[in-house]
Amino acid sequence: MKLTGIGKTFARVQAVKDISMEIRQGEVIGLIGENGAGKSTLLKILTGLHQPDTGVMEVNGKEVTFRRPQDATAAGIGVVHQEQALFTNLSVAENIAMNGSGVKDQGTRFGIFRWRILNQEAAETLARVHAKVDPRAIVGDLSFVDRQMVEIARALRVDEMVHASPLVILDEPTSVLERDETEVLEREIRDLKKIGSVIFVSHRLDEVLRICDRVVVMRAGEIVAERATADVTEDELFALMIGHNERAEVHSRDREGAKPAPILEVEGLRRDHAFHDVSFALVPGHILTIVGTNGSGRESVCRAIFGAEPYDGGVLRVGGEEVRSWSMSKAVRSGMAYVPSERRVEGMIGGMDAAENLTLVHPGAARSGPLLRKRARAKIAAEWFERLDVRPRDPALDLARFSGGNQQKVVMAKWLQSADLKILVLDHPLRGLDPGAAETVNRQIRAACDQGTAVLLLADTLEEALHMSDEILVMRDGEVTARFDLSVEAPTAIDLLGKMV
Amino acid sequence: MSPIKAGSSAGTTPAEAAPAATPSLAKRLRFDVKSAGELGAFVVLIVVFAILNPSTFLTAKNIQTILNQSAIPLIIAVGATLVILMGSIDLSVEGVMGAAGMTFVLMSANSRGGTGYGVVVALIVAVAVGMVLGLVSGLIHTRLRVPSFIVTLGVWYVGLGIATLLFGTEQIPFLTSDSLKAWPTSLSLGLPNSFWLAVLLVLVGAAIGRYTRLARWTYAIGNNEQIALGNGIPVARVKVINFVGAAGCSAFAGVLASIQIGAGSATVGVGSLFLTIAAVVIGGTALSGGKGGILRSALGVLLLTTLNNGLILSGVSPNIQSGVSGVVLIAAIIAAAWPYRGRLRVSK
Repeated sequence: MKLTGIGKTFARVQAVKDISMEIRQGEVIGLIGENGAGKSTLLKILTGLHQPDTGVMEVNGKEVTFRRPQDATAAGIGVVHQEQALFTNLSVAENIAMNGSGVKDQGTRFGIFRWRILNQEAAETLARVHAKVDPRAIVGDLSFVDRQMVEIARALRVDEMVHASPLVILDEPTSVLERDETEVLEREIRDLKKIGSVIFVSHRLDEVLRICDRVVVMRAGEIVAERATADVTEDELFALMIGHNERAEVHSRDREGAKPAPILEVEGLRRDHAFHDVSFALVPGHILTIVGTNGSGRESVCRAIFGAEPYDGGVLRVGGEEVRSWSMSKAVRSGMAYVPSERRVEGMIGGMDAAENLTLVHPGAARSGPLLRKRARAKIAAEWFERLDVRPRDPALDLARFSGGNQQKVVMAKWLQSADLKILVLDHPLRGLDPGAAETVNRQIRAACDQGTAVLLLADTLEEALHMSDEILVMRDGEVTARFDLSVEAPTAIDLLGKMV
Repeated sequence: MSPIKAGSSAGTTPAEAAPAATPSLAKRLRFDVKSAGELGAFVVLIVVFAILNPSTFLTAKNIQTILNQSAIPLIIAVGATLVILMGSIDLSVEGVMGAAGMTFVLMSANSRGGTGYGVVVALIVAVAVGMVLGLVSGLIHTRLRVPSFIVTLGVWYVGLGIATLLFGTEQIPFLTSDSLKAWPTSLSLGLPNSFWLAVLLVLVGAAIGRYTRLARWTYAIGNNEQIALGNGIPVARVKVINFVGAAGCSAFAGVLASIQIGAGSATVGVGSLFLTIAAVVIGGTALSGGKGGILRSALGVLLLTTLNNGLILSGVSPNIQSGVSGVVLIAAIIAAAWPYRGRLRVSK
């Protein structure tokens, strides 16, 4: 497979530009890069979910265009997505056969399943990856790693359709696996080399070095380096991944006097299969940032603290008192606010106008008793629009019609509107914002902080984390691996990355 | 080219081809235990009523009555299960029964005169009328993206309207053929014909559920429609086919019900909807789709009809009977949902 000058632009953002690479038979290629470096877009182009604006794709020397995922399958590209795409209620054999729907296969004749042949074919496919999984087992009953093996087996099946060596793309297959499960997977990947080639996407650089023959590093939509794993070290890869300006500016806030009592204390918080033994304290007027890769469990921690997801154990103390049967409504009542990363789905109510969204939780003067006061609401909204420079300056407009950055300003204002905001939980508040909007949002976070609000932040980039925080917690695989108190230490992005992966 | 060789040689490695057999045994045992819950409840029910009514409950006559009463909900449950497996619902049952039943009576020899077109033709036309209603439901649901709940609610009343229109302003049309009217309750091998008919349909339905790609696609859609689309499954077509099939079953049940009462009536299906959906759920098919099966629904039907019959025999007033049925349904749903009760989650 060969790519030449592949580029793709969304709206005004150039997601990937001028990507050229070659994937040779029997090769395992590692693809690494920070979140937002364009890896996912590139994978989506390879699997037919997106069409490139520029450039040429060739498979076995022949030019190809993928209009649908089925086209990529037909060209021998199988993919294991980050999120598993199996039917948990069906058997392994059915799931494997399901991928070939539309393609002629022996297991069904005239729409009738021939279970014996179907199971036999599935067993053969599974045997190729040495997976010891019963084709008749129900997928939902399998362990995670077994399910992953089923996915891989299914992705491999493409070569039976095209009679050529397959290219299997594994998108962060190990991010949710336990250590020993990962070893199993690594062995399988090495076996895959004998059959076809592999693109392996991972945040764990040690794994990438162990498994792959060659590493491709992406940053800001471009390939910045291509190295053979034999002559590159983890540190070099770090540096390549985050660019050369890794010396982020050192946090410079002065902290004088004794720290006030923490408003939120978390002790030994855990949820099975998500995170465990997470402890920290939030202090009024301070910003604590949690960094980590996808699957590090930091999002789940935030959601558990806000009561949006349950937790299995540990203690949560708000204002010094241990909480019982924690829920979102209780969290809001005790002065907590949460800006979710999925803005359109969870953070706002599209279809309601901006003013209504803004006064949804803390109506303030816009309410008297159970009644809403429209005029007061319009006035409050107008003030916020002015203060945050929301454009267009029309609070009566449906919130869904604002741009992402301006929506985020309104979502922030909804919480800042509270007279008694104690804790602000921010899940990727700058996601998808242009620099101007990001600066406005950051200024509001700082302003809230200065008024004594404690902030828990999940930052998009390490620079953002270093720039904003008083304290940084690093999480990896559901555990806290490091803490940096920025008033006494000055870690670099590389220090953080080292603990993340 | 070398890749082909590499692929085929790996494919025929015989040693690894044998899958591990041990975990499947445990899994199958667990499955058996799960279905044993409903079966156990059924047995307990029979034992309890047999003790309460030693002289009446376990008589051949009463068993025949129960099985005859089960026939109609059994037939409806075959189609209803397939629809519910997709995570949809078909509320049009009673309307389709009315329209199809009325069509059948008016096309057979009846008291309004005429010799009719014969049972077979009347049956085919009646079922076709039902299937057209199902096609309408399916197409509106998939093409116009209206929730199945509301589409079929509407089609229910459209069906009743058609039945009323066919009924017109004349006298009630009675079936004139006595042999036809007696057929459902006549015995073959000691059991009523209506029950044998239902058994046949249930077995055909169960075979469809197990062996056809269509039905396995149905399970897949019920599990996760997005993944189903991503796998290239023709989701809309599968849905329409299932709605047509379900309406066909309802129509068939409507015909049988009309034969049993011996007359045409728009409201021939009254009560069938609750009974069937309750039976499907009690049998263990999840309303959210993806889990369950036709045989389980059949067990659910038998359980509910036995319960109703036993309550009457035990002298429970008919006034509180429907209340008891409702409580049983709610209890069954609570039991089924017990492992999944957790705090409501933010969409994720």
